[in-house]
Amino acid sequence: MGTLQYLMDGFAIAFQWHNILFALVGVVIGTAVGVLPGIGPMSGVALLIPVTATLTAGMPMESAAASSIILLAGVYYGAMYGGSTTSILLNTPGESSSVVTALDGYQMAQQGRAGSALSIAAIGSFVAGIVALLGLVILAQPLSKVALKFGPAEYFSLMLLGLAAVSGLAGKSMTKALIMTVAGLMLGTIGIDAVSGIARFTFNQPVLFGGLEFLTIAVGLFALGEVMKTVLEKDTGDEPVAKINRVLPTKQDLKESAMPITRGSLLGFFIGVLPGAGATLASFFSYITEKKVSKNPDSFGKGNIAGVAGPESANNAASGGAMIPLLTLGIPGSGTTAILMGALIMYNVQPGPLLFEDHPNVAWGLIASMFIGNLMLLVLNMPLIRVFAKIIQTPKKYLLPIIVAISFFGVYAVQYTTFDLYLLLGCGVLGYILSKHDYPVAPLVLALVLGPMIENNMRRALTISNGDWSIFVTKPLSLVFLIVAILWLAVPLLLKFSGRKVIVNEED
Amino acid sequence: MKFDKIAGVVFLAIGILFIVGSLNISNNAYGSTVGPKTFPLILGIILAILSLRLLYEAFTAKVKEGNTEKEKLNYSKFAIIFGAALGYAFFLEIIGYVVATFLFLVIAFQTMERGKIIYTLIISAVFSFGVYLFYVNLLGGALPKFPLFS
Repeated sequence: MGTLQYLMDGFAIAFQWHNILFALVGVVIGTAVGVLPGIGPMSGVALLIPVTATLTAGMPMESAAASSIILLAGVYYGAMYGGSTTSILLNTPGESSSVVTALDGYQMAQQGRAGSALSIAAIGSFVAGIVALLGLVILAQPLSKVALKFGPAEYFSLMLLGLAAVSGLAGKSMTKALIMTVAGLMLGTIGIDAVSGIARFTFNQPVLFGGLEFLTIAVGLFALGEVMKTVLEKDTGDEPVAKINRVLPTKQDLKESAMPITRGSLLGFFIGVLPGAGATLASFFSYITEKKVSKNPDSFGKGNIAGVAGPESANNAASGGAMIPLLTLGIPGSGTTAILMGALIMYNVQPGPLLFEDHPNVAWGLIASMFIGNLMLLVLNMPLIRVFAKIIQTPKKYLLPIIVAISFFGVYAVQYTTFDLYLLLGCGVLGYILSKHDYPVAPLVLALVLGPMIENNMRRALTISNGDWSIFVTKPLSLVFLIVAILWLAVPLLLKFSGRKVIVNEED
Repeated sequence: MKFDKIAGVVFLAIGILFIVGSLNISNNAYGSTVGPKTFPLILGIILAILSLRLLYEAFTAKVKEGNTEKEKLNYSKFAIIFGAALGYAFFLEIIGYVVATFLFLVIAFQTMERGKIIYTLIISAVFSFGVYLFYVNLLGGALPKFPLFS
């Protein structure tokens, strides 16, 4: 069967009525998550895992996995649409990937062009989403065919590369990012060792035998950490919201943003495919590019529509591109895709090259549903933008305690232990303290998900080679991955020594 | 940079404890040359090295924080909400989901901003009952019951 045939089968799954409903719920919640400050795509996806798990409880395993990943992915790219809304209307980005959108978007809103800015952001996101999906469709099969030839040594090195990429770009200090990565790997070793059955670092506590649940840690570090930060540092004054006059962009607006959208989509897609370089970096690069190619760069920061169209397209394309390493290689490139991967593993569906052979319904159903989801988002965002803008006005005094309550619900519904609730609170405090002092927490969560897989592949590779560590450098592909990983860490350091500024990625 | 010094010492301690801990893991996995202790041992060593590097960076960093203004932090607000959350976790299985959630939300809302007690009561009640009914009755999930009905 060719790619087209698989895609058609995927659409057959995505068009089942309950999957359409799942996609719709996903993108609506995603948009709300993007609009609400305090909940990022990462905690949004994490919090919905227990809900989808219960919703799909009666279904056969594979269609349950397909349906829930359709919903969760909807939250992920829906949040990319929603993130622009607060940037434009309030000058406070809902997500880090929308920071640059605020530069010109807020200025446009000040000039009474909020509607144009919002709709261009939605159109750009839509175009970018489709471009990224086409790239995904074209690249998915060839890439997974290549990845099928990988042995454990190659996988081990490739995962190290993934971790190196995320640590190299995250935060201000690489030492701190690496410490967080290693800490995440360490947390992953807690529990009963899958190979030998020996309990490690459990101190004879039965609750620790199963290991620490990544969901609890992710929600605690991100959602609760953010809540604690807001409670401690900010007063709860609510800012005035810019008014939306007309929703449709003018012909002039469309003409001016056509090229930025095209450039942003392509740029964003390729940045998204790289592990570690997520939506935030993509939007920054797109903004810089637009400013460079523009005829009057001075107008940026004063309400130039290209400064909204480019970055918004780029961050959406990047979130689509980030699905490629996740689905074809089984390696998440960012915190949010790590959580999506955790959700798939919960359903016993292992992302990776075999995904397209073993579970074509899950893989292609998801891809097809993303086409539908993007169309829904475009339709939803244009007329309903006023409704979503209203969500911003939810007072913080109600929002923050409810985020805590939702986190408690989400964690308890999956784990059924109060131990995880205490762990959640502990992680919340740690998340706040760590990110306050520039210790990035995304690498920790990524390492926690990848840790057990890294260890298993390492041990399998060493078993094959009878304990000879040189297997990792004598296999050519593995050696290439390791060299790239080292370069990824070394190049920013070298640039730093030569006195250049390095763009850092702070994705949550 | 004071925080980094403390953090460096803490991470160094964790690294050393991890090394000691992994050396104590019995290494009797058969059929495999690499036992369960190898990976944690490597991690412990890497963390120890990285924290030394962090300490070095923290101590050599130029002190330019002459005029750091102390941020005003709402410690009392935070303490009450955190305490309420701890109580929420502790009492959840004792007094049931609805009551525990309701009480937590009322306390937290009122801590964030005093007044409007009726709104507070309505929103807390709607959220706690709503989540329970939706999740347990509609979706068939399980949460700690009402103490009255169990």
